Amino acid sequence: MAAGIALVVWSGWQNLRQRRSAMQEQQQRRVDLVPNAAANGSSDGQSPLQGKPAPAFTLLDLNGKNVSLSDFKGRPLLINFWGTYCAPCMVEMPWLQEFSRKYAPDGLAVVGITYDSEVGRDAIARTTEKLGVTYPILLSTPKAEKDYLSGTEALPISFYIDREGKIIEVSAGLGSKDVLESLVKETIAAGGK
Amino acid sequence: MNRRKQTRRAFASIAALALVVSATARLGRAQLGSMDAPAKPRAYVVYAAEPQSVPAGRSSLLELRFQIVAGFHINSHTPKSQFLIPTTLTLQPATGVKPGALQYPAGQIYSFPSVPGDKLDVYAGSFTLRLPVVATPGDHAIAATLRYQACDSASCYPPRTIPVNVVFTAK
Repeated sequence: MAAGIALVVWSGWQNLRQRRSAMQEQQQRRVDLVPNAAANGSSDGQSPLQGKPAPAFTLLDLNGKNVSLSDFKGRPLLINFWGTYCAPCMVEMPWLQEFSRKYAPDGLAVVGITYDSEVGRDAIARTTEKLGVTYPILLSTPKAEKDYLSGTEALPISFYIDREGKIIEVSAGLGSKDVLESLVKETIAAGGK
Repeated sequence: MNRRKQTRRAFASIAALALVVSATARLGRAQLGSMDAPAKPRAYVVYAAEPQSVPAGRSSLLELRFQIVAGFHINSHTPKSQFLIPTTLTLQPATGVKPGALQYPAGQIYSFPSVPGDKLDVYAGSFTLRLPVVATPGDHAIAATLRYQACDSASCYPPRTIPVNVVFTAK
C-alpha cells in the first residue's frame, strides 16, 4: 500500500512539474508568438534576450563588405530586422533614419538587417533608396535569425543595445514614433558614457 | 489463499490507479500543449474547396472561396504600395479546360492603428476569386497556387504560397 501511495504522490508531483514547465515555456514564447503584445514598442521584459549580451554576428552589407557587431563596440546600437514586403517596416524605417542622424552626436548607430535576403541586393537597395535610408543594411543569415528572432517571423522587430553590448529593450511590431524615440534615448542613456 | 487474492487485488488497484494518474498527467500535458499552440498560425489563408458544376462547352464562372484567419489581413491583388506583394493565383494548364482572365475582388482600405494616415488595400475575413472557364464534358481539376503575404495589426509575416485544387464537373 505504501508503494501505491508513493506512486500516486510521485505521479501528482510529476504532473505539477510538467504543468509548471509548460507554463514557463508558454510565457517565454509569448513575445515571439503574440507580436501585438509588444506593439506599443516595448516587450514588457518578455523577450528572452532582454538584459543579455547581444549575440555576435558578422553579416554582409549591400556592398559585399563584412560588418560585425564588434564594429559598434562602445556605441549605443539599434538593430532593426525588416523585410521588403513588410508595410509596417516601411513606416518605421524613415523614423529610424531620422533617429540615426539626430542622435549621431550621442554615438547612436542604427543597423537594418533584412529578413528576406533572398530577394537580392538590388531589390533591397532600391527599397532602402526609395525610403531614404542611409544607415547600414545587412543581409540576414539563418544563424542571425536563430540567435535574435528565436523562431519568430513577425516583423518589424528591433533590439536596443547599450554601450556595454547588452540588449536593454526589444520592440516587436509597429509602435508609435514617440515610443521608439524614447527607447532610443533610453539606450543612449544606458550603460555609461 | 485469501491473503494471496487480497494482495493481487491490491496490486491490481495500484496498477489501475497508476494508469489513471498517468493518463490524467498526459491529459493535463495535452491540454497545456493546446494552450501552447502558436498564436502565429502556419497558414493565414485557407482555401474552401467546393466541388462545382458548370455547363459544358459554354463560358461559365467558377468561384474560389478563401478564408483568412481572424486577426490577419493579406494584401489585395492591387496593393497601394509598390513595395507590397499582391495576392496572386497562378493556374497550371488543365486538359479540357480553357480558363479566362481571373477576376480578383476589390480590396478594403486598411490602416495600421499607429499610422492611420497610411492607407493599404487588403483582403480580410473571406474573399472570392472568379475564374471564367470553358470546359469539355466531364470531371476536371485545375491545379493552382495562391501567393499571399499576411500581416496583423502591427506585424507582417513572410509571403506564403498555398496549393489550390479547383475541382468541377462540366455537364
